[in-house]
Amino acid sequence: MRFCNDAWLVALGGALLLAAGPSRACAQSLAPSDLLKPPADSWPLYHGDYSGRRHSPLKQINTRNVGGLSLAWAFQSNQGAQIKSSPLLVDGVLFFTVPDNVWAVDARSGHMIWHYHRPSKGEHIGHRGVAMYKGWVYFTTPDCHLISLNAKDGTVHWDKVFADTKQGYWSTMAPLVVGNHVVVGVGGDLDNLPGLLASLDPETGEIQWKWESTPPTGTLNATTGGTTWITGTYDPELNLIYWGTGNPTPVLNGNTRPGDDAYTCSIVAINPDTGKLAWGFVVSPHDTHDWDAVEIPVLVDANFHGQPRKMLMQAARNGYFFVLDRATGKSLLTVPYGPVNWALGLDKLGRPIPNPDKEPLPDGRLIAPDEGGMTNFRSPSFDPRTGLFIVDAHPSYSLYFSKPADGTYGWAGADYGLWGKGVIEAIDYQTGKVRWTHEVGPGGSGAGVLTTDSGLTFTGDAVGNVLALDTSNGKTLWHAGLGDAMESSPITYELDGRQYLLTASGGVLFAWALPQNSSAPHPALQH
Amino acid sequence: MLRFSAVGAVICCLVLSRSQLAIHAAATLSPRPLALAANPAEESDGAKAYAANCAICHGDHREGNLPAFPPLLGVVHHLSDPQITELVHKGQGRMPGIPDIQGADLVGLLHFLHTEEETAIKPSGAETAGQPASAHAEAGRDLFQQNCAFCHGRDAMGGETGPDLTRSKTVLADRDGDAISQVVREGRPEKKMPAFNFSAPELEGLAAFIHGQVTAAEENKGGRRGVDVADLQTGNRDAGKRYFDGPGGCTKCHSSSGDLAGVATRLQGLALEERMLYPRGAKSSVAVTLPSGQTVAGTLAYLDEFTVALRDSTGSYHSWQTAKVKYKVDSPAEAHVDLFGKYTDADIHNLMAYMQTLR
Repeated sequence: MRFCNDAWLVALGGALLLAAGPSRACAQSLAPSDLLKPPADSWPLYHGDYSGRRHSPLKQINTRNVGGLSLAWAFQSNQGAQIKSSPLLVDGVLFFTVPDNVWAVDARSGHMIWHYHRPSKGEHIGHRGVAMYKGWVYFTTPDCHLISLNAKDGTVHWDKVFADTKQGYWSTMAPLVVGNHVVVGVGGDLDNLPGLLASLDPETGEIQWKWESTPPTGTLNATTGGTTWITGTYDPELNLIYWGTGNPTPVLNGNTRPGDDAYTCSIVAINPDTGKLAWGFVVSPHDTHDWDAVEIPVLVDANFHGQPRKMLMQAARNGYFFVLDRATGKSLLTVPYGPVNWALGLDKLGRPIPNPDKEPLPDGRLIAPDEGGMTNFRSPSFDPRTGLFIVDAHPSYSLYFSKPADGTYGWAGADYGLWGKGVIEAIDYQTGKVRWTHEVGPGGSGAGVLTTDSGLTFTGDAVGNVLALDTSNGKTLWHAGLGDAMESSPITYELDGRQYLLTASGGVLFAWALPQNSSAPHPALQH
Repeated sequence: MLRFSAVGAVICCLVLSRSQLAIHAAATLSPRPLALAANPAEESDGAKAYAANCAICHGDHREGNLPAFPPLLGVVHHLSDPQITELVHKGQGRMPGIPDIQGADLVGLLHFLHTEEETAIKPSGAETAGQPASAHAEAGRDLFQQNCAFCHGRDAMGGETGPDLTRSKTVLADRDGDAISQVVREGRPEKKMPAFNFSAPELEGLAAFIHGQVTAAEENKGGRRGVDVADLQTGNRDAGKRYFDGPGGCTKCHSSSGDLAGVATRLQGLALEERMLYPRGAKSSVAVTLPSGQTVAGTLAYLDEFTVALRDSTGSYHSWQTAKVKYKVDSPAEAHVDLFGKYTDADIHNLMAYMQTLR
């Protein structure tokens, strides 16, 4: 992304290139190979990179100077919708979304470059962001169109339909670009429909393959469901994408879908070139509590109990933390990370065994966690320095009901949250033990988590504070009250030698940085 | 899935009174409300598959022709999707199997069979155009499907996170849409419901749709979805009293002849059970010790890591930085949180039976 192709570079000559500056020379363009090792002045994927760790090597903002962090700029979307997207940064321009809307904003100043608006039917529950390939931005819509926009001006390049909104599908997710594939997923658990992933050609929008989570609607004794509404991760060596799938349907009534209900509430590994399943791991066999397993499948290469491993970690909505071998899909560790009361134990595959008496019943069952789950779609972060998996957790209790009159279509029951709170938890991935906790308030926080190599953890609390914590012990080092809850996951990048932290609260995007004349640690603090 | 956002299309529609709407709704909505279609006008795939394959015997409007051909309205109450699919593909008795209905046609057909009678007997375009009631409710329905259905269900009878609006006290007490509009405009921040910036005609449409759904739900006596008072009667009163007096530890704070006397006349059913399990919004008290040594006590008004605030006995608000003072919070409701990990479901049902005797 920093350099255009060599022939052009030579033809133009070095002087002109230097005058224009490397990143200006091919503005807003992203080669697929750049995604394999994103430079520090970019955040070119939903997760920042393919691993899903939401961890940055940047160190300018550190534990000693973070107390001086201040506002660099703010961007007012002037929309009622909360910003739930994770922005992309490519060649100095940020791209982010709310349903029906995409903005391109200057990452240095926060001023708007272009705004794309497309009113549409379908669920407007939220929007997670865009993806990029070369000079194109990819945007999903509530009515399941994938729209390719010109990154320079937001004009439409092409517009393709990848799922039928009449059947009940919608889409909110940020696509994943792998090689010459744009992979998109769907929401749609108000109806009995199979979840699906579709891969489209980034140049033409042609469908390359589709993968369905379950057998077709109407298959005897089979489930539907398994939506695919959060961006997956990718291992280039194994050439597999990893994706979490949503709850089965009917949601709260499992009677018509006996068994595990694969591959709903699962992590699946899929070849991005063929759409073929390599393996699947059911995180919540026979779910009856709406616990989508779409939480980020985080990829970590490290030792596990003394042995080097290619791992996949997920803090799942059902209350369990999973470590898998991502080459085989075999379980290495399954441990609850908060109160859970719905399982009888673990089976020999490392999966929780659902307690039949904790399925929703006419007179109600007390269930932990609640339907929002022990965590939800906002990203956790893995800090390689400490080996901590840091997640915004939500210990909670609720009542679940289902009776024959609720039927076997869509929701098929009723549930009511009773109580919950937010706790940032730092989980040791070797044991599942929680090394520290940091309470973030009643009801819980919707904030995602970002860690940096300088030992910082950025997240938010339940009342609208953005927080910087010390990754080693969870203590607060900095905060700012922003007047609305943070419903997104933070990102960070460096431009012109200055590190920025980006957080969204309500409909406003905030960029934070150290004051420009003191971006180095204060001399008094230097050792 | 969770959480939503508000971007609504501007929809102009005519105003009508609630009574007009109720009559319209009663006349057109099925007595058995089910999952509603996102937009009945878009149900063409399933409706076409039905018209092409099924209508000849089961009727254009799924009304059947007894005794030979059963009506299919409400068929989803006694047959699951897979059972219907098997019937369609293999046939039964004199009904032929139609194995060719597959893929999108099959999904559409099943979806269609789950829709309400209104969809099946939708008036023709000419008739609809002359009826402000229909346009009004349809506009409200569209807006509801885009912005509300995720949490409250497509039929407003409850869904993910959001309560059943057809049993909502706010909705039932609402006249002319005012109370509903206020909640939609202001949100319910304490329950994480966001505020929506809809125009007055949009709000009227929404309210009309929701009131229509109340009427539809009320018509469905005996087969109602959601939680009825009758569903919560499986406990044992005496065992509940023993739990209340003994292991529950309830008598540390409560008394059946004191604060809880008559509680079952004030609250019933699910509302009583929710309140019993966790008294949402219960007040905490706080005592703040200032650097001077002076102590200020009152009702806790705000607390995060950085700020503590209270209302004193005169109702005045005071706040301090937590780093500059010492403070002690007393939250009696926390005892309910401690019990969550200890209850069996039977304990809860028994306690509920006992609570219902406190009239």
